[in-house]
Amino acid sequence: MIPVFTREFLGILRAPRSIWALLAAALAFSSLVLARWPAGDLVDLSGSGSRGAFLVFASALLGGVLLLVPAFPATSIVRERNKGTLLLLLNSPLTGRAIYSGKFLGVLAFAGLMLCTTLPAAAAVYAMGGVDPLRQIGLLYAVLAVVAILATTIGLLVSTRAASPDAAVRITYGLVFAVAFLTLAPHALTKGTNGIYALISQWLRRLSPLPVVMHLVGQGGSVGGGILEKDSGVWQFLVAGLGLSAVLAVATMLQLNHLLFDRSRDQGKITDDQSTLVRWFRRLVYLVDPQRRKSGIPVFLNPVMVKEFRTRRFGRFHWLLRLAAVCAVVSLLMTLAATNGTMDWGVETIGGLLVILQIALVVLLTPSLSAGLISSEREGGGWNLLRSTTLSGWRIASGKLTSVAWTMLLVLAATLPGYLVMTWIKPTMWNQVVLALISVLLAVAMTLAVSAAVGAFHSRTASATVTVYVVLMLMYLGPLVVWAFRDDPFGRPLVERALLITPLGAALSVIGMPGFAQYQLLPAAWWVAGITCIVALVVFAIQVWRLLKPE
Amino acid sequence: MNAPAENVLDIRNLSKKFGDFTALDNLNLSLRRGQILGFIGPNGAGKTTTIKILVGAMRPTSGSATIAGADCVRDARRIKRLVGFMPDTFGAYDNMRVREYLDFFGAAFGIPRRARTKRIDEVLETTGSGWMQDRYVEALSHGMRQRVGVARTLLHDPEMLILDEPANGLDPQARIEMRDLLLKLAGMGKTLIVTSHILPELSRICDVVAIITQGKLRAFGTLEQIMRDLRQRRTFEIQLCAPERVETVASAVREALEPGERDSVKAHPHESLVRFDTARSDTELSVILAALVGRGLDVAQFREIPKDLEDAFLSVTRREVPAA
Repeated sequence: MIPVFTREFLGILRAPRSIWALLAAALAFSSLVLARWPAGDLVDLSGSGSRGAFLVFASALLGGVLLLVPAFPATSIVRERNKGTLLLLLNSPLTGRAIYSGKFLGVLAFAGLMLCTTLPAAAAVYAMGGVDPLRQIGLLYAVLAVVAILATTIGLLVSTRAASPDAAVRITYGLVFAVAFLTLAPHALTKGTNGIYALISQWLRRLSPLPVVMHLVGQGGSVGGGILEKDSGVWQFLVAGLGLSAVLAVATMLQLNHLLFDRSRDQGKITDDQSTLVRWFRRLVYLVDPQRRKSGIPVFLNPVMVKEFRTRRFGRFHWLLRLAAVCAVVSLLMTLAATNGTMDWGVETIGGLLVILQIALVVLLTPSLSAGLISSEREGGGWNLLRSTTLSGWRIASGKLTSVAWTMLLVLAATLPGYLVMTWIKPTMWNQVVLALISVLLAVAMTLAVSAAVGAFHSRTASATVTVYVVLMLMYLGPLVVWAFRDDPFGRPLVERALLITPLGAALSVIGMPGFAQYQLLPAAWWVAGITCIVALVVFAIQVWRLLKPE
Repeated sequence: MNAPAENVLDIRNLSKKFGDFTALDNLNLSLRRGQILGFIGPNGAGKTTTIKILVGAMRPTSGSATIAGADCVRDARRIKRLVGFMPDTFGAYDNMRVREYLDFFGAAFGIPRRARTKRIDEVLETTGSGWMQDRYVEALSHGMRQRVGVARTLLHDPEMLILDEPANGLDPQARIEMRDLLLKLAGMGKTLIVTSHILPELSRICDVVAIITQGKLRAFGTLEQIMRDLRQRRTFEIQLCAPERVETVASAVREALEPGERDSVKAHPHESLVRFDTARSDTELSVILAALVGRGLDVAQFREIPKDLEDAFLSVTRREVPAA
């Protein structure tokens, strides 16, 4: 275990991005506290200033752990497997358990180091007074440690199964955010009800660190929707988090053996060559048979766009149909659950939830499609081949961007039935829905452009994906965090300015979601989104041109 | 050297500098249609730089390179149609079958759909890859990938093929098949530039060889020309009937050779063999042989060990020689 741990830990530390992450964490958290440090000559006896500082500090720290930690375990095993070093490790006397422990502790040691860099800032918060060192700061670090453990075990499990580092990063971030945020949704919908569903949703909620951290920072009343309850749930979270981590760890250890390599090469079965019976059967079962021989790319289509669809794991038509169907069903279910389960919620709340569903889909799906548009080509050697063809930079760039845009439009279109139900319940909302949909479309354009532009500067897809997720989470969650603390410490002008950063705030505001309705964000939010989108597209185009031109 | 009008490739005083570092120093090369050029040199010699300039991926600091009259810098788009380039990395795309992979690159070159389908069938047949058209590209073995890579370069029917290490990592059987494929392509009138570290393979297929080290062309011509121009030492073996007198023969040979050549004389009693390197002419060597026979030493065979491209390469890379 020791050699694996040493190599893992040192390997992370040797990467320049890790050092930058540590430095950034130390600087950012110190700055956050310094910004709240009392400057006047009046003594804050109530302790509200320090509580405000603690609130900002804890929220940022949770965000930092959720954004940074998953990236390291997600690529840890899959990269070794693809490079062939995992086979060497498995052929050594080290057991699967020892390899796992080494990797787990290596990643965790780095997370611990990152948390340690924030200790001076935590000490400063304590020095301001009004914050309990054990019951608040101590428990916060305990919660964050469990979040890091959970993210690490999720990342390592995904890394064992994933085919490529970037796929592992995408899936890991998706799962980590699902555990942190989506686990709250069922409770929000079943709140106030009894029965087995309410009980299950209550337990699911225990897996999310969000309510616990909110409770620790004393923000009992600022965020609703199932995040906050009267009891803190700290211990339940610690137990549930560690329990789930243990299960995931055992599952990963059981898979770390030679069977990982016991896979034959795909022989490329094709329906056209099967017997008549099989062909008829597949025609009945599949709307679009994935194993049918495809015809050539039509001349009127951009070949790069078609290639992008074909090379994506879920880009083939049969997968897109499934994705669209799932989105449509989820949007209808959400509308149904919201209208049946909580009659006291207005149509505006349902609309707000639909907007959040759409934006969540946009933020989670778009980077996974667009972050690696250029980096995957450069990493796999395809870029040099593209350069040697007669395709122009414009055709390459537009083909790649449109492949993502079409997918996202399809997904969004699939979520429209929820809006239809909404406008059927309250027809006067039609204009609001249209404005909200325009905002969501702008969110798609902006997210796509930013993801593509940021990702184009990387030569490795995994690092591009991580960077893009971090940037987008900051763009989308940052304003929501500011909004969550809109009563204290942030005031209305700051919240309004923060909500302008992404069209999410505008969409929630025009749909009349409680808590957002009072902000006037249009048309300023559209201008901000539009300009951001144009700037990002220009940056993307310049980077493509730069990479295509002779060295 | 042929007249420039007959040449498909013409490289004139080509140089490339990266700051103070000279990657390519005044390179001059020419190649006729249907010829195969073996472009060899140690790692970092300037092969990839030359290839990148030829395919329009890099600009030279000075000099020019033309392929079928098209300038590699000014006519970049025409060059892409004239050249089929296979880099040393395959460039696989996930979830794509071989036929789809070729279809994409055919479409990227603007080949109409119907003509593309026909062309894909042709290149699959030429490269012997028809049976793997439904396989996923990422699931292909290295040898299969190399074949598909060659098929890809042929799609737009280029005049010249530039293949970077096509035989690298192939098993002996696949290497023979690749060799036959390259000869077949040359037979089809294609001009080929092939880099490889497997020099015996190159020597069997190349019409001309260029040896480059430290950015400079050290030798260029047919293999025979290079061997002759290098005036390198030849290796000889004396096979005896019995092992007892091997040391005696070895001593006699040492006495007959120049002092600088004496260290090369090696006696192999188990094989009844004496081996040595010398720059002496055939006439001088016949005197040595006559002396050995005259002393009653039972010489069964006196033979020259043929030198190959590998020896020429080592000879060039170990000591600088003027370009042939």
